[in-house]
Amino acid sequence: MFKVAVGHSNDPDSYCAIAEVLEQCRKSLAGEIPNAGILFAAIDFDHHLILQQIDRVFPGIELIGGTTDGEISSVLGFEQDSLALIVFCTKSIKIVAGIGEDVSLNPVAATSRAVKQALGKSDQVAKLCLTIPETFGTSGVSIVNGLKLALGEQIPIFGGLAADQYQFQQTYQFFKTKVLSDSVPVLLFCGELLFSHGVASGWNPIGQKSRVTSVHKNIVYEIDGKPALNFYHRYLGSLAPTGEYPLAVYNNATDQFYMRAPIIHDCSNGSITFAADIPSQAVVQITQASCEDILSASKTSMTSALASYRGVEPRVVLFFSCAGRRQILGTRTREEYQIARSYLKMELPCCGFYAYGEIAPNLGSDWTHFHNETFVTLLLGQR
Amino acid sequence: MTPTTDLEQRIKELEKANRILQKKLQRSEADRIHLEQNNNKKEYLLKQVIEELKTTQLQLVHNEKMSSLGQLVAGVAHEINNPVNFIHGNIFHAREYIFDLLKLVETYEQTYFDVPQEIKDLSEEIDLEFIHQDLPKVISSMQIGAERIRDIVNSLRNFSRLDEAEVKAVDIHEGIDSTLMILQNRLKAKNEQTQNIEVRKYYGELPKIQCYAGQLNQVFMNIIANAIDALQESENNKKKQENRTPTISIYTSAIADNQVAIKIIDNGSGIPKEIQKNIFNPFFTTKPVGQGIGLGMSISYQIITEMHDGSLTCNSEVGKGTCFTIEIPVKHGCYSS
Repeated sequence: MFKVAVGHSNDPDSYCAIAEVLEQCRKSLAGEIPNAGILFAAIDFDHHLILQQIDRVFPGIELIGGTTDGEISSVLGFEQDSLALIVFCTKSIKIVAGIGEDVSLNPVAATSRAVKQALGKSDQVAKLCLTIPETFGTSGVSIVNGLKLALGEQIPIFGGLAADQYQFQQTYQFFKTKVLSDSVPVLLFCGELLFSHGVASGWNPIGQKSRVTSVHKNIVYEIDGKPALNFYHRYLGSLAPTGEYPLAVYNNATDQFYMRAPIIHDCSNGSITFAADIPSQAVVQITQASCEDILSASKTSMTSALASYRGVEPRVVLFFSCAGRRQILGTRTREEYQIARSYLKMELPCCGFYAYGEIAPNLGSDWTHFHNETFVTLLLGQR
Repeated sequence: MTPTTDLEQRIKELEKANRILQKKLQRSEADRIHLEQNNNKKEYLLKQVIEELKTTQLQLVHNEKMSSLGQLVAGVAHEINNPVNFIHGNIFHAREYIFDLLKLVETYEQTYFDVPQEIKDLSEEIDLEFIHQDLPKVISSMQIGAERIRDIVNSLRNFSRLDEAEVKAVDIHEGIDSTLMILQNRLKAKNEQTQNIEVRKYYGELPKIQCYAGQLNQVFMNIIANAIDALQESENNKKKQENRTPTISIYTSAIADNQVAIKIIDNGSGIPKEIQKNIFNPFFTTKPVGQGIGLGMSISYQIITEMHDGSLTCNSEVGKGTCFTIEIPVKHGCYSS
């Protein structure tokens, strides 16, 4: 058995919202008790109260979650300032949770603790990992690398960095009844599980390919031996680099790329700070996209996931989209879910959130990357 | 469900709807403020971009005009060149023939003393003696005139350098001289109260410079023309007891790092500090409306700094004069067009 239920409420009152969400889930489950779940919550809620209520109704549930920049579900579609809960009820698949704290101090150690704790509850091998780690004080790339080290590079990892409605002050992560910061919660799926995914951004590389010749983590100083700002000014004139024109970073000699969005720049030394690390000597290209291109990525992502699903009956769809996409799309953000949803031939529970960075392997690859401005679709099922 | 329960339920739903609306209103307000801030930033950027576009457009139009003018100048120079050449060439032969004819007349006069009265009358009528004296002077002055026209035509062709649209190694002294030739007329005093502008050249030993010759000549033209304007204004405003000769001094020299320096100095009334800092800004001018739109110096600045990787600076002292210094490399790796 693999049953999934989704609850979603846009009631700003924490007590009423979680009550509504739990009622929706209980109705869907029709008496079944879920063993695991993921909570996506806007930053303004009383998260302690909410987690306590979930534990009261579903005692001992293996729960992870985090705060967001927007929530998606098959109940309400796209919402902001809302609460969405997805719960899994399975017998043959073991879903276990773990937490690693102080991830900013040592991402490798924190991710190792989280994975060890989760695996300690299962005698089966992990097939897939979901995570909603901290954004601030640490690098998303370091967290992904730490998880790959702890799990093994062949285990795909999906998720997104916790967000806080574009305030960039503090995010929260959830583990069972705990509300934490600076942590990395993981949910491991062990056992017979079928899954597929789609990854797309909508941005198209243009112009010449160049090489990052001087970089420190996520601060690029030089491209092709010249100040990084010069590279952008060639295309944008005197306009400042923004998330509307991210860089495509290529994987070695392949055509596959992941995105890196510029955040701030320094005119004194011509450097640009990006939302995540860029490897030295990486080949990059500037990209551009219209709103239509950005929205078309949700179609690409969903159809890729559907096309590569090896079974016949996926049970749930998870979405991880980017706060940067939401900023650019504005009121059209709701169309991302609507477009993706329109390609589902069956009624499936869907849930997801808008993150400060997305985690998923590139298409046709097992190698998990940290992405910016990307729409990730994950299908899960047993047959 | 009892009516009371039903009412309570409806009240709860209304309260929920109210909370949701309040929250959405809060979010709308926050989004509106964010949008306004974004809007202001984008408006500022847009204004900047529009100004840049306007400047670029006017520069393009100006460049187009200069290009057309250059083509016109080159065309006219070419058309004049042929007739001037055969005038100049034929004057030599005409001089020879005339001297031969005069010599023949003289020989006749010396050989035949008994001249018929008719010839004597005609000699007096045409003032043959005066023709003897004046004709060589007339021929000489025609020759000088033709040579001058040739020089001016060469200067125009050298100045426009239309056939040299790419980087080429040129003698910049030729460019400066051709510019001065074109401006020759403007160096003359306009009235009895003013003096001619004196040009003093202090040319150093310079190698040929790799440059866009036509564009560089345009810079010389802009700077020297401005110096002439300044000196003429000084002349008009000078007091009676002032006996300073209006002068433009041009110094050229090779300097370190394989560069050359060209200094154009005038002893006009100088430029006040608050004007000096704007002198290279597009559309900045102190001239009355209709006498220039203020693009000359900004275009000159772009030609030197962007096309030639050099520098153009202005130093001036009120009451003493102004010095424009151009420094450009002798050789240049790549030029941005």
